[in-house]
Amino acid sequence: MRFDADYFEALETPRMARLAANVVAAAFPLMKLMPARYILDRAEAAGELKGKAHIVETTSGTFGMAVALLAAARDYRLTLVTASTLMDSKYQARLQRLGAEVIALDDPRGDGNQKGRLESLDGILRQVPDAFWTRQYDSDGNWLAYARLADLFVRSMGQIDCLVGCVGTGGSLCGTGTFLRSVFPDLKIIGVDTHRSILFGQPLGKRVLRGLGNSVLPKNVRHELVDEIHWVGAYPAFHAAHRLFRQHGMFMGPTSGAAALVGQWVSKTNPEARVAVIMPDEGHRHADTVYNDIWLSTLPGWRTPASAFPTKISRIEPKPETAWTRFDWRRRSLEDVMQLQTTDR
Amino acid sequence: MKGSGGSLGGAVFPNAPSLDRPGTGRAGAHHGELIQGVFQDERGRLHRGLITLPLSHMNSLALFEVADEQGVSVVPPEKMKAAKAALLTLRHLDSHHLGGLLTVESAIPVGHGYGSSTADVVASIRAVADAFEMQLRPSVVCRLAVEAERASDAIAFEDQAVLFAQREGVVIEHFGDALPPIWVIGFKANDGQLVDTLALPPARYSSEEIQTFAMLRGLAARSIKYQDPHLLGQAATLSAKISQRHLAKAQFATALGIANNFDACGVQVAHSGSLIGIILDATAPGVAGTARNIAEAAATAGFKDVVVQPIYSVRRPS
Repeated sequence: MRFDADYFEALETPRMARLAANVVAAAFPLMKLMPARYILDRAEAAGELKGKAHIVETTSGTFGMAVALLAAARDYRLTLVTASTLMDSKYQARLQRLGAEVIALDDPRGDGNQKGRLESLDGILRQVPDAFWTRQYDSDGNWLAYARLADLFVRSMGQIDCLVGCVGTGGSLCGTGTFLRSVFPDLKIIGVDTHRSILFGQPLGKRVLRGLGNSVLPKNVRHELVDEIHWVGAYPAFHAAHRLFRQHGMFMGPTSGAAALVGQWVSKTNPEARVAVIMPDEGHRHADTVYNDIWLSTLPGWRTPASAFPTKISRIEPKPETAWTRFDWRRRSLEDVMQLQTTDR
Repeated sequence: MKGSGGSLGGAVFPNAPSLDRPGTGRAGAHHGELIQGVFQDERGRLHRGLITLPLSHMNSLALFEVADEQGVSVVPPEKMKAAKAALLTLRHLDSHHLGGLLTVESAIPVGHGYGSSTADVVASIRAVADAFEMQLRPSVVCRLAVEAERASDAIAFEDQAVLFAQREGVVIEHFGDALPPIWVIGFKANDGQLVDTLALPPARYSSEEIQTFAMLRGLAARSIKYQDPHLLGQAATLSAKISQRHLAKAQFATALGIANNFDACGVQVAHSGSLIGIILDATAPGVAGTARNIAEAAATAGFKDVVVQPIYSVRRPS
């Protein structure tokens, strides 16, 4: 028996919270533990991780925290590559306390510099050829791990009609969605992204809402599973996080706020549907920002009222951080959707 | 009562056989499984496991008469596994110096995938225990049954739904209640040809299938807790679809089509046999008529041995 199995299984288990009569949210302390533990367990079982192996990954935070917790408990060496814009010094210090080496690259464009991070990671892999890269972006282990979340959802809800979740690597939404749809073929999968993330066809730009969206396209994002995509701006997401705290006592991160916002809208527009929402992280990391009025007041346009409902769009384009848009994706490939976008012009 | 008279003169031997009364034991058939796959135990280890669909109206009945010499003879003589189970039970009861005559009478058709062999084995274990005026825990009965016939099913738990490791004879999860009330319209694919269960190589499941089983287990737990035959049917259907990739049944798609046409809860199969069952909610209005229509459709489609089977809970008043 693994001595740590119990502890990490408990820590990766979400609280199943009812947000409305027909909405259940899986509120995670640290969702990324689920894929991180599954990927490491599989690698250990396959003999790819032995003794004092060196693990590497590029991360904006929570996957890094999950791997760092596991690496510390299991005595692996860990190097995390991130961008200076993505990680505050307190979070970095927490990771370092767990023994992780953190490489924070400059991010002049404010897009997360994922390309630079991957190049840096490549460099490490060349120097340490037997290092183990957890590959959350394209490892099957990432999405396969979420069968456990599908299990928890069906245990607490039974039949599920709509699944709402943020997309960053695609692991949680596409993984949970794949398993749930295998038993509920009519399941609607609704993705939550943000303006200026490239995942669903927007041009790359500076994102204010972090922890979802991406500047590169991971293999684990499977567009063909998605019925509808929402782009939630930073401000409606921040407001939604504040409401979660006030109305439900849930101190969650702004990505969880975005997921709750979309989930509650879906439940109101489909009152007969049973809606499952994935909320990936807690708010502590954002106490000095999203939960700080002084910081919020420095944001341009923060006092402008944020969208209270999504605007349906047919042309995919970035909007201000106050905006919330949605698009009928209809289980198509990115290529198919983008092709239509150019011919429509 | 303790201290009261009556047995002061003679010691009480709880394990002494009552030689004048034969022990009796009974066990039911099954209609394949609702779910079969591999599942994690609480330590994270994977086990092959299943949820049996019991058929309580078909039984095997065993009688055991204790004799004061070693060895068990059995009637009819071909029921060797039952005899072996009786010997193992004697050993379990620290009575291997004794033997006896085992008689097995079964109403379960042999070789049709209804688990007649396991029913004989379980009935025999119970008969031997009864001859010693003992009852055995279902977990002990299962362990002895697996020892007698290598792989077993969970019929020793009667109508109590359990996730059972059929090759180890242990329970992975006890769901805490009986299955929801359902009817099963059963029939045979592959022209009713029989499958030698033990000769089959165990299915090698993919990572995605293994992960899917975790969700199926959750669906089963939910459907039993809330007595929801529809959820149970959906779970069984997905398990049957996975089974189809490993041991394909002819006309499986036809069976799914019939189930859909009649808005059935789902389809279950004998994962290592040829039985297919269409599941109906026993509490739905007009269930008997729907069952007849499904039976007709199945016979018309060419399925063999179509039988309508209400799955009653043992505790159901009747």
